[in-house]
Amino acid sequence: MDATHPSPKPIITFARWGNYTIAFKTLFEQLGLEVIPPEKTTSQAIAEGARMAPEMFCFPMKVTLGNYLPALKKGANTIFMVQNVGGSCRQRYYGAIQETVLKEAGHQINFLDFRATPKDVYRTIKEISGASFWQIIKAALFFFKKLRFIEKIEKMAQYSRPREVEKGETDRLLTEIFSELEKINKEKDFLGFKKAALKKLREIKIEKKENLPKVGLIGEIYTVCDPTVNFEVERKLGLEGIEVHREMDITYHLKKLIFPWKDWIIQRKINPYLRSTVGGHGRDAIYEMLHYIKEDFDGIIHLLPAFCMPEISVRPILEKIHQESGIPFLSLSLDEQVAEAGINTRLEAFVDVVRNHYQNKNH
Amino acid sequence: MKCYLGIDVGSISTKFVLIDEENRILFASYFRTEGNPIEAIKKGLRELKDFIKTHNPGVDPHTKDYGVGVEIAGVGTTGSARYLAGVVTGADLIKNEISAHAKGVIHSIPEARTVIEIGGQDSKIIILENGVVVDFAMNLICAAGTGSFLDAQAFRIGVPIEKFGEIALTSKNPVIVASRCTVFAESDMIHKQQIGHSREDIIAGLCQGLARNFLNNVAKGKNIKPPIVFLGGVSENLGMRRAFADVLGEKVIVPEHNTVLGAFGVAILVKKNLPGKTKFRGFEISDRDIKCTSFICRGCPNLCEVIEARIEQKVVARWNDRCGKYSNLKYD
Repeated sequence: MDATHPSPKPIITFARWGNYTIAFKTLFEQLGLEVIPPEKTTSQAIAEGARMAPEMFCFPMKVTLGNYLPALKKGANTIFMVQNVGGSCRQRYYGAIQETVLKEAGHQINFLDFRATPKDVYRTIKEISGASFWQIIKAALFFFKKLRFIEKIEKMAQYSRPREVEKGETDRLLTEIFSELEKINKEKDFLGFKKAALKKLREIKIEKKENLPKVGLIGEIYTVCDPTVNFEVERKLGLEGIEVHREMDITYHLKKLIFPWKDWIIQRKINPYLRSTVGGHGRDAIYEMLHYIKEDFDGIIHLLPAFCMPEISVRPILEKIHQESGIPFLSLSLDEQVAEAGINTRLEAFVDVVRNHYQNKNH
Repeated sequence: MKCYLGIDVGSISTKFVLIDEENRILFASYFRTEGNPIEAIKKGLRELKDFIKTHNPGVDPHTKDYGVGVEIAGVGTTGSARYLAGVVTGADLIKNEISAHAKGVIHSIPEARTVIEIGGQDSKIIILENGVVVDFAMNLICAAGTGSFLDAQAFRIGVPIEKFGEIALTSKNPVIVASRCTVFAESDMIHKQQIGHSREDIIAGLCQGLARNFLNNVAKGKNIKPPIVFLGGVSENLGMRRAFADVLGEKVIVPEHNTVLGAFGVAILVKKNLPGKTKFRGFEISDRDIKCTSFICRGCPNLCEVIEARIEQKVVARWNDRCGKYSNLKYD
């Protein structure tokens, strides 16, 4: 143990992931653990993570590594990292590599690297927190309630952003709701808060426009869900008057873990393009793109972290679907080397392409 | 006479274009940004002012005032420094360089299907269909094949960049230069020099390598159909023109005003979507003191780096914040 923390009491930190971080923080707090949440993703966090990590490794691993560091400085000594089973992708090595590089850098930490099976999750949590079975179930339920709420208001924001009368109101409300949500740690306060927050969001003054150009966001789950990592694609498109849809979120991922036949359905739909898994959510990207084309969308944005093997494998297939169907398509590969200005230029040009596509369709 | 100004401030060069109501180019300038976009904008405005002063047919015969005939009715900016240029000049439209170039091409060559544009630091391909952009791509990380690299190589070989193309055309047997990456391209060129290949063969080989690199990296998977238009600073290079024609097996068209078509396009765009009155700050801006600074806002955990532009110590705009706390404030 670190000399400044002689007590063996675990102080938890974990991998940051967009707005979901709030739900994860609540989960650990409800288990009676002390939590120092990971630092918000900033350019400094990304730079420090990238400096420590192996160069040719996935971007999410570098970012989450950078997010731990300030929390570790503040006294956290235990890190939670999940490795996903099933998808053959490098995500399962994140824990092992992060533990190694952090220990090599002199951090004395207890690294809990566990598999995302109910049994493994339960055992790890039980061991570290010593909470009772019911306490764990209760904490998990509260966690899911918060998670569902976060996903719900993100979806509501996708709808109201392009329609709001006063530009920026949705995002102001969103920031406010998220910072209050973080403070709520009793389940009985949550229901009232949720109702009030949803009411506020519904009361945003919007222009009555049913039909707007629609863009589907597909790609790697961490990148599409974390607004700081994807340079706030959703917000930027929304403010340009484009309705963004995104199917990929934690609930989607968990549902697939619990109901494996979802994968079989996806495989059947993408059979003309790809006949096997490529790991991660590679198949899902193709499935979502085909789905959005069927729904008559006006554009697809494909986001992937640099070196993401599953998404790189499906990218040529997505390009082919784009050539066949004529739907505007933009694939953005993100990492610490990418400048926001370059992303903005591409997004702005893409918005013009999407608008043209939408206008030609409706005339 | 109502005129529209298009300004394209890129990483290496700055372009100014003045058009009239009939989209005729009255004035075009192209010069190096030299790492200082604000100074480049001022310089461009000064040049334009002098041009209007000396060439303006509409000079008032009594007062001898210049600019009587020429009224700047709208300003549009594009290029990588478009926001800054927009703030400094008071632009009515700030447009990305892809849409701007596409517009410029559609006006000069309406039947064009493919646009290759290679500038100082970036290269892009635009696919057009019926005069509308349907697809595009830009180089993401690698700058191989862009103007800066050619510039550096010309300097290293000891050939002025203006002569680079002509020398390439004299080659009979272009050598094969590894061109996946600029660093490897350079070491491979040194190697080719040392085993005794002639200078023109190496230069021609480099041009072909860069054209291949562009098609493999930037234009990968894109549906390239003729007519193909070649734009940007690099399109001045005769060697690169021939290399693209060879590699693509198609005729490559280099239109008039090939280096300033982005500025031309944004001028047309501003003419089309004109607000009632232009926000142009006037030519006086070129004599003012303009400064940009940045600070980190600590209002929330986002920690945005807000950029602040001052003209004569007075804040005229702030941008780059996520919540709009600063950018939504009213500045005059």
